[in-house]
Amino acid sequence: MKDITKFSVKDLNLFYGNFQALKNINMDIYKGQITAFIGPSGCGKSTFLKTINRMNDLIEGVTVNGTVTLDGVDIYKEMDAISLRTRVGMVFQQPNPFPMSIYDNVAYGPRIQGIRKKNTLDEIVEKSLRQAAIWDEVKDKLKKSAQAVSGGQQQRVCIARTLAIEPEVILMDEPTSALDPISTLKIEDLASELKKDYTIIIVTHNMQQAGRISDKTAFFLTGEVIEYGDTEQIFNKPSNKKTEDYITGRFG
Amino acid sequence: MKLKDEEKMVTEPTAKTNQAVANQKDYKDMVFRTLFLLCALLSVLSVIAIITFVFSKGLKPFFGQNAYSLTDFITGLKWDPGKEVYGIFYMIVGSVLATLGAIVLGVPIGLMTAVYIAEIAPKKIVALIRPAIELLAGIPSVIYGAFGLGVIVQLIKKVSPTGQGESLLAVICVLTIMILPTIITLSESSLRAVPKSYREASYGLGASKIQTIFKSVIPAARSGILSATVLGIGRALGETMAVMMIAGNNIGGLPGSLWDKIRPLTSNISMEMSYASGRHQDMLFATGVVLFLFILVINLILIRITRKMGNEGSSN
Amino acid sequence: MKRNRRKIHDSILKGLIYASTTVTIGILVVIMGFVLYKGLPGININFLTRMWDNETTIVDINRNPVTGENSEENYVESLGITIALEDENIIIKDIEKDSPVEDGLNIKEVPYELKEKDIIAKADKVTFRDITVEEAVAALNEGTGTIRLKVTRPGGGIVPMVISTLYIILLTLLIAAPVGICAAIYLNEYAKPGKVLNIIRFAIQNLAGIPSIIYGLFGMLVFVQNLKMQYSILAGGLTLSIMLLPTIISTTEETLKEVPNVYRQGSMGLGATKLQTISKIILPSALPGILVAIILSIGRIVGESAALIWTAGTVAQIPSSLVGSEAGAATLTTKMYWLIKESADLEAATSIAVVLLALVILLNMVSKLITRRFLRSRTGK
Repeated sequence: MKDITKFSVKDLNLFYGNFQALKNINMDIYKGQITAFIGPSGCGKSTFLKTINRMNDLIEGVTVNGTVTLDGVDIYKEMDAISLRTRVGMVFQQPNPFPMSIYDNVAYGPRIQGIRKKNTLDEIVEKSLRQAAIWDEVKDKLKKSAQAVSGGQQQRVCIARTLAIEPEVILMDEPTSALDPISTLKIEDLASELKKDYTIIIVTHNMQQAGRISDKTAFFLTGEVIEYGDTEQIFNKPSNKKTEDYITGRFG
Repeated sequence: MKLKDEEKMVTEPTAKTNQAVANQKDYKDMVFRTLFLLCALLSVLSVIAIITFVFSKGLKPFFGQNAYSLTDFITGLKWDPGKEVYGIFYMIVGSVLATLGAIVLGVPIGLMTAVYIAEIAPKKIVALIRPAIELLAGIPSVIYGAFGLGVIVQLIKKVSPTGQGESLLAVICVLTIMILPTIITLSESSLRAVPKSYREASYGLGASKIQTIFKSVIPAARSGILSATVLGIGRALGETMAVMMIAGNNIGGLPGSLWDKIRPLTSNISMEMSYASGRHQDMLFATGVVLFLFILVINLILIRITRKMGNEGSSN
Repeated sequence: MKRNRRKIHDSILKGLIYASTTVTIGILVVIMGFVLYKGLPGININFLTRMWDNETTIVDINRNPVTGENSEENYVESLGITIALEDENIIIKDIEKDSPVEDGLNIKEVPYELKEKDIIAKADKVTFRDITVEEAVAALNEGTGTIRLKVTRPGGGIVPMVISTLYIILLTLLIAAPVGICAAIYLNEYAKPGKVLNIIRFAIQNLAGIPSIIYGLFGMLVFVQNLKMQYSILAGGLTLSIMLLPTIISTTEETLKEVPNVYRQGSMGLGATKLQTISKIILPSALPGILVAIILSIGRIVGESAALIWTAGTVAQIPSSLVGSEAGAATLTTKMYWLIKESADLEAATSIAVVLLALVILLNMVSKLITRRFLRSRTGK
């Protein structure tokens, strides 16, 4: 299968005030694949993820230069952040369901886009929860608070909530770091399932996870992309010494 | 994959309408943002308006033709509007003495009560005392005035050498009671904010519970207690209705003892506001200006302290 | 030796702590006791249900004989009422069903229904003074057709003050709550650190420290005199609105701060605008806290006197307009002040104090309830 470019990042630099958090990033991210960002904490992988759907707009004192294009359109110059975020959804590190029912959580995105019809909303909610592989577990408690289910279920509700806005890309920021191993496996299976329809970018500090589910892997260190390529190649014969140190250090 | 591509063809135009909707959303956000800002600025406007209006009316009698001497006003010991005599020095002294007395009594009592609630009392008792303090805070000042008049003034009348119940002492008693809830609540929360590690360290060095409280916890909470005190000063100085009913409100002369009548600044305003006109009314506003200046200084001190507390908090 | 001294030292301090707490609680008990002891005897159904002032009205009644069910003594058949002598006044003791006094008209031809306990002071030309009940019955039964009565409805009740207090609460909250909440939203959700924010915060802190007598002066000067509102509920409401802004803003801001940031991120990440995030996620989560802010404000309005006396006045009437001479209104608290200061009636004043205390306790309980509910829902149980 030929790789189709979804995101194209050119000469991207990002500053928090005077501190440069991302240095000269160049990268293409491909459609229908899972791309993993790995690296030690503070390496810039999460920051980079947030530049892709402009969540960093919400942080004080951030300046970005360089270009990021989505399907060839510059997301900083030719698109507004709100409509970008409806195309590029995000799942956060901590499951963060809103303090409302499971149904209302999933219907939140469609509602803010002006969908009011009950039937349509019902369909979207069911479809999204099914896609997130949690429908069977919660179908009888849709009106219950989303904060009353387990952490793993909460995270899948949050994924369903993201799916409900029908994004093209899903960003996952260490989505399993707060979860137990069984819930983690469920989310990983889900991610592999979802890549049929969505482009997925996942930030993780869990090496095995990146190895298990991703097609491409990028290794970040101190704000730079040290190496980027097929996951198999990165994990088995990394071309950069630092990548190798990091990967073997973690495995050994 | 192919199907997804077809879908995309269909969604392409809607992406454009999304853009239009987004612009509209931006516009709406802007409008509301401005509205929120205006509401926030209303508080600034209010402060400016209050200062401008009260000061311009209150300073009027000291300027222009037939101006009243500002020195006579500030240093005067007699208030007799009928004879165009307006001196407020004895009122300033009365207000300051009453406030001082209330702080001297109220702060230790309040702080000790706060220590009991925060450090000693079992949970069940706290659950009883706290609503009582909240109730004390919620009682309208007119009721304190009625209480002062009906109980405190009557008691003082029995023991006072002047045979008069309305006095500096009565005002101090009522003000002490009125500032207690403020002192207690603020001191309690600053005591509770002291990290556990301070207490553990003190116990670890062989200190008793009481020693720990007085040598380690209270010193660590001192800025909170200080701001409680300053807030208490502000409340005592500004209290009007309760004080007016029990102060005696003499028309002149410095108080010589606790048994003497006083006429606090706030009393002076409220006593005569309902019928004053012309210069007399302006002079009541002038009294308000003096009161206001006192309060402004207290506010500034309070803001200083809270800011310092914030800095201490963040550096820890 | 040293140990012993420490023990003594500790005991003294402990004694001081217990003594202080006892004093604090003791004061509350004494105040409550005083208010209840002095005020409770004055509280009865009349106090709670009547107007404050006696109300005298001339009423025309179209007589229409009604047969009394249990033909009591002193029954006036032509009016269908039983009368009695009470405190040297002729009062209506009982009204039969379908009595014509229910359809009375005052001189402006507006329906005016007579009620039990109303005092009849004059019937046509007969003044009811030093008169026996029998004579009164005869006078009322004399002639046929319309009879003109001068009726006094006794006052002594707090109804106008209760209603005025409600009006002022409503008016003040209608102004202060939206403004305060919007200001808090700006401060917590939009404002960036800098000069503007510092100025606003400085203003709010100062506003909070200004004593209510100064608000009273300001309100009187600006609203009552300059804007010619006279003593009115609007002048009072506007003055109190400014006074309450700091309370509402800071309490609301505290609750907004407690809304977890992940909610904001989650909502923005789904493509919601800031405004949508605020209205759909942040405000609903902060609602209980905002309610508590409003209840706190109600408590302060109920207890306020100095800022109201010279803006809303001390007339015991039910205001019928927002500004002007019909709009002056005494709240429970300002009336209580007036009773002590102007008529030295401590008994009636403490009776109002009983009602005020009950209100304050009620408000405290409601805000406790909301806070507790809120905490429970926060912890997810």
